Amino acid sequence: MDIFVDVLGGMSALLDPKVIAFMVAGFLIGTFFGAMPGLTSVLAIALLLPITYTIDVVPALVMCASIFMAGMYSGSITATTINIPGAPSSMMTAVEGNKLMNKGFGANALGHAALGSIIGGTIGAVLLMAFMPVAAEISLLIRTPGKFSLVLFALVVIVIVDKSNIAKGFVATLLGIMIATVGIDVLQPIPRFNFGTETLVEGIDIMPIVIGAFAISEVLMQSESWKDNLGSTLEKAKKVVIRRRDFIPPLSEIREIGLVAYIRSAFIGYGIGILPGAGGSMAAFVSYAMARSSSKKPEEYGHGSREGIASAEAANNSMCGGAFVPMLMFGIPGDPTTAIVLGVLVINGLQPGPRLLENQADLLGPMLGSLFFSALILIPLTLWLFGPYFVKIVSIPKGLLYTGIAVVALVGSYVATYSIFQMSLAVVFGVLAYFMRKQNYSTVSMLLGFILGPDLEQYLRRSLSLNDGNPMIFLTSPDSLFFLVLTAIFIWAILIRKPKHRPA
Amino acid sequence: MAERAPLIRTGVLLPLFLLIVTSVYLAAAFDIRTQFAQPGEMSPRSMPILVALLMYVALAVVLFSELRNPTADGPVRELIRPVFVIVATAGYIALFRPLGYTLATLAFSSALFLIFRFQTGKPLHFAAAAIGVTAAFYGLFAGIFGVRLPSLTESFL
Repeated sequence: MDIFVDVLGGMSALLDPKVIAFMVAGFLIGTFFGAMPGLTSVLAIALLLPITYTIDVVPALVMCASIFMAGMYSGSITATTINIPGAPSSMMTAVEGNKLMNKGFGANALGHAALGSIIGGTIGAVLLMAFMPVAAEISLLIRTPGKFSLVLFALVVIVIVDKSNIAKGFVATLLGIMIATVGIDVLQPIPRFNFGTETLVEGIDIMPIVIGAFAISEVLMQSESWKDNLGSTLEKAKKVVIRRRDFIPPLSEIREIGLVAYIRSAFIGYGIGILPGAGGSMAAFVSYAMARSSSKKPEEYGHGSREGIASAEAANNSMCGGAFVPMLMFGIPGDPTTAIVLGVLVINGLQPGPRLLENQADLLGPMLGSLFFSALILIPLTLWLFGPYFVKIVSIPKGLLYTGIAVVALVGSYVATYSIFQMSLAVVFGVLAYFMRKQNYSTVSMLLGFILGPDLEQYLRRSLSLNDGNPMIFLTSPDSLFFLVLTAIFIWAILIRKPKHRPA
Repeated sequence: MAERAPLIRTGVLLPLFLLIVTSVYLAAAFDIRTQFAQPGEMSPRSMPILVALLMYVALAVVLFSELRNPTADGPVRELIRPVFVIVATAGYIALFRPLGYTLATLAFSSALFLIFRFQTGKPLHFAAAAIGVTAAFYGLFAGIFGVRLPSLTESFL
């Protein structure tokens, strides 16, 4: 309870005009990146990462949280208006929202998407704040072998969640772990893989990997297809006319969807957010599928269902809150955005874990508050102020946009450490990530392997050295056994279990 | 008869490249000195060796499935612009300190505008946009965040 009060107290930092400015700026940046097809909030936070070296940790974390929330919500804008999801998590919104758009209810669909996002995002943030103290207590019970099994569980789930590319996901994760082993050993003062150079003794920073994997590779991908349907997209965008008064969904429609549906979707999103590697797309899809199966009007699905929009958007925004739990308590990011936020914490010397919440509530409080206020206030405010102009975002020329991104990425990777070497590393990882993406290797798996690799090694070696090299400790320690069983259950559920076919 | 996929394609070359990287990594792992490890205890080289071995298995699966179900590459011309972007980026990094932020960024943004064919038919708009990008991000980094960016005069001092 004390921690909860401390976190609430830490939120008072949000009254600082400078922090508010960063929150609003972050939200607008997130909205822009989320709404622009091809750009994501992950890219926005990746570009922000070098800047966090030069600003205080509170505004940096507040900005990250508001970008995260905005990115989830704003993907629905172009998904609805021109049927191009601004973010992958808005795929289901595109299915229903664009149908409504074509029927002349575009603003109404955007209003339902925003309302779902507000409710989902707010519930997710409240659940995060309410259950963090409980999660902190639970995490204190987990000992070293259990921590190893937990990290292993996270890595396994991240790899198997994309069933069609398990071997490639495994390769990408191992590559990330390999990169993480460069530098001083995790337990002994021995340099590894520095190949006789002093530069590599300190290891490879997270920043060039993030910039390379998410920014440089994106510029390379886009340079391939710089023309892609811009003409028809612009034509579609020009035709869209949206009026502010149509944004407010009628009470009758909200009643029809039902408060229970919103809350259920928010809980689904929050729960999926806690799972490593699942992310907003899965949250939206699962929630949408459940809403459809229990709907009173299933026939509307696929033809412009407002309930479908609300359930998908409530879930993907609620996921933001859930994704912070494993990251803050165990240092295990639930998705790429929280992986980069973890980088911001580490850059600022903050180590995730139960003590973090206890000792640094003044730093985390504003970030959690930023999630809450972004969902509750900034989503409706931004929709009201800028809603009619949102769709024009797609008319920004790609040449200008990606040149800007390339400059920010490269200069950003330089200013973080004033090092040309870091800049060069960002390009090397960018080129590698470009070819990996072209061949469907997950760069997110590579990043998570890089982040979790040192923990995996450290906990494995510590557990074994405390038990005379006996690996049975992982089966005899109850917390470790729990996570190993959980891993087995996930493998069974995702890979082995055959889905039941319903009779036609 | 079905047409055979060419052996030299990204789907094969990328895992082969990673195979070479893994072999170099494994060789370097064996060179890691272990000072305090007791017999049976995991030393600083154990995890890298284990990871490299797992990587061999994963790459073998990827290569095997790639040979069974080839993923076709796009046309070669698809790679031309990314290669130009990489060359321009390498040039930018090489010239960033010697030329300073302003000139290097001006040249880099102009090169990317050419690659993305942005305003190439309108020289004035092209120049204005390149200057605008350079100035805007100078304002962001040096102005707002107070970062010291390299300048041309600095390289002569």
